[in-house]
Amino acid sequence: MGRGLKTIIGAVVLVAAVIGLEMGLEHILPDAAWRQVALFAMVNVVVALSLNVINGMAGQFSIGHAGFVGIGAYTAAIVASHLHQSLGGGEVTFAHSFIVMPAAIASAAVAAALFGVIVGLPSLRLRGDYLAIVTLGFAEIFRLVIATAQTGGTAQGAVGRFLASLGGQNGYAGTDGTGVPQYAGPFWIFGAVALGTIICWRLKFSGWGRALRALREDEIASAAVGVDPTSYKVTSFVIAAAGAGVAGALLASMRDGNPTVQPDQFSFMYSFDAITMVILGGSGSVSGAIVGGVFVTITVKLIEQLQGLESIQDLRTEYPSLDLNALRMVIYAGVLIGLMILRPEGLFGERELFKRGRRNAPGGGPGGPGGPGGERNAPPGGAEAALAEAAPTGVAVAAPSTGVAVAAPAGSE
Amino acid sequence: MSEDAGSNAVDRAYKAGKASEDPAPRAGKPLLELRGVTKLFGGLRAVSDVSFTVPEHRIFGLIGPNGAGKTTVFNLITGVYKSDEGTIHFGGTDLGPQKPSAIARLGVARTFQNIRLFGQLTVLENVLVACENTRKAHLGSALLRSALFYRDEEDMEKRALELLRIFDLHGMADETCTSLSYGNQRRLEIARAMMLSPRALLLDEPAAGMNYGEAEGLKKQIRWLRDHFEITVVLVEHNMQVVMGVCEEIHVLDHGETIAHGSPGEIRTHPKVLAAYLGEEVPDEPDGESVGAASGKSEGEVPA
Repeated sequence: MGRGLKTIIGAVVLVAAVIGLEMGLEHILPDAAWRQVALFAMVNVVVALSLNVINGMAGQFSIGHAGFVGIGAYTAAIVASHLHQSLGGGEVTFAHSFIVMPAAIASAAVAAALFGVIVGLPSLRLRGDYLAIVTLGFAEIFRLVIATAQTGGTAQGAVGRFLASLGGQNGYAGTDGTGVPQYAGPFWIFGAVALGTIICWRLKFSGWGRALRALREDEIASAAVGVDPTSYKVTSFVIAAAGAGVAGALLASMRDGNPTVQPDQFSFMYSFDAITMVILGGSGSVSGAIVGGVFVTITVKLIEQLQGLESIQDLRTEYPSLDLNALRMVIYAGVLIGLMILRPEGLFGERELFKRGRRNAPGGGPGGPGGPGGERNAPPGGAEAALAEAAPTGVAVAAPSTGVAVAAPAGSE
Repeated sequence: MSEDAGSNAVDRAYKAGKASEDPAPRAGKPLLELRGVTKLFGGLRAVSDVSFTVPEHRIFGLIGPNGAGKTTVFNLITGVYKSDEGTIHFGGTDLGPQKPSAIARLGVARTFQNIRLFGQLTVLENVLVACENTRKAHLGSALLRSALFYRDEEDMEKRALELLRIFDLHGMADETCTSLSYGNQRRLEIARAMMLSPRALLLDEPAAGMNYGEAEGLKKQIRWLRDHFEITVVLVEHNMQVVMGVCEEIHVLDHGETIAHGSPGEIRTHPKVLAAYLGEEVPDEPDGESVGAASGKSEGEVPA
């Protein structure tokens, strides 16, 4: 009862908040450039949240996440611009976004998930580094196929014509070349972040997430307790791919964003940004992915802003060889190295901002095994402990038997 | 909630659907059958034509000198390795084509020689992972947080806490398992295995690193587990105090081959075993062993 009420109140507050942001973001951030940064940061949070499922929770190192974002972006751009045309084109309205965005997001998620199955099914049977190589290769293949397919022409088949229609290196700018309709306002982007956070949180704090984390710790042991490594890894990979697809859909139609979807947006660098977000925040932590996503986006933007400063511009005219864009990577590297030394587990480690307490916490007054019926039910190992005469807490009962535990290396066969 | 009520809940959970409450060892139907099992590692015959049958409710010992292939046999049974020849049946099911996770779900639980716990998970979570495949609520209800999800989670948490209580780990439920002492980690592994509600429990050197007193406690625990949960126990162990004290039937391997099979009494005096394994240790043994040896003789059943 109380639980249901809390859920309803939470949902109402969330919807009110995203509608408020849809209406009010222009007043909060009057500068369009910063609005773009804010929205882009949120898209990156979705990217980080989804990558966190496979890299953080499942411990499978995927370094081609940008490929799935790209698939989502192209799919959503095509769906959105076609829908926009069939709605009569014209102004991009908030009302129309309720027709366009759900379709675009859903199709992007499905397309990315499909590719997730295709990539994940064979590669996740392998261990460790193989997945990294396969995902990296996949993302690059995707990007290069689109970037190089620009000739078009009648001699080509349906696939070739379709790929050519995506605009090659110049990018896809809608059906009529005037740009992808930018339906994804703060409502959709912040909404996706909220929903994504809830989904990731619930995934993590469920039996499924527990099994996934167990798998990350020890594959053989988790198989020995009935958790099938392959199916869990593939499922988590597909979920991560679908999440990336959603992020791509938001990126393609982001208000104040780039109205063309270009292959270079989904280069290796973007995959690495995504990994940085996850590791910086703390592998496996949902809060960490959010903080990491925001931090990385803002850092990049701040460096760009710094480049515009007068003193920096003067410096630049004085030393023309100074490449300030490369400074971004230097700062990145510095932050990452510092983090690996100071906090190898990331800002949050696997922890969360809010501690989730266990409902049936121990110490709630269970008696010792010396009580009535204890003789039959307590194992003999605890029988010695029972001599401690019905100690008040489990800790005290356990003490005698742990006291004699002497650690010694196991004999190897 | 009193201790009594809690333990009864465990009783009910485990006794449900089980025919007999008779705790005494009985000559049950064959549960685990190995026939002509061979495993090659390159040119090495790690396990060579090994056959044995473990009846239900038996405490069965698998012993042999270092490198005899005992752990390999465990890995073959649990599907970590696939045998090159021969068949392994469990409760009538051929384990050959099964994945390790499927074999675990059939009711074969195991522990590992060098403890394999889920390091970053808490003690309670370690145990909870083992019931993931039995839950009614799946991914969908976990996302929607349906009433079923909460009920499922509560049931399992209750069961897991009861198991932890049985193994004296109840007070450490929320600690990370890496912070546990060696002995507690060994017991946590057994608790995790028992969470599967297995029919057979395979223990790989559970007494490794234990002192005399702890090993005595372990013997009682193994017998208690078998009687209380009505399971079959297969034990790989070097500690003769434990093996002779608790096993009712012993199979001896040397260099991957079977050299003897019988009751502890028979194995104790078997010339091949003495030559290959016990060797000079036999005369040194009795002093500290008198308790274990006596109980071994009185309880050990002579198989056919």
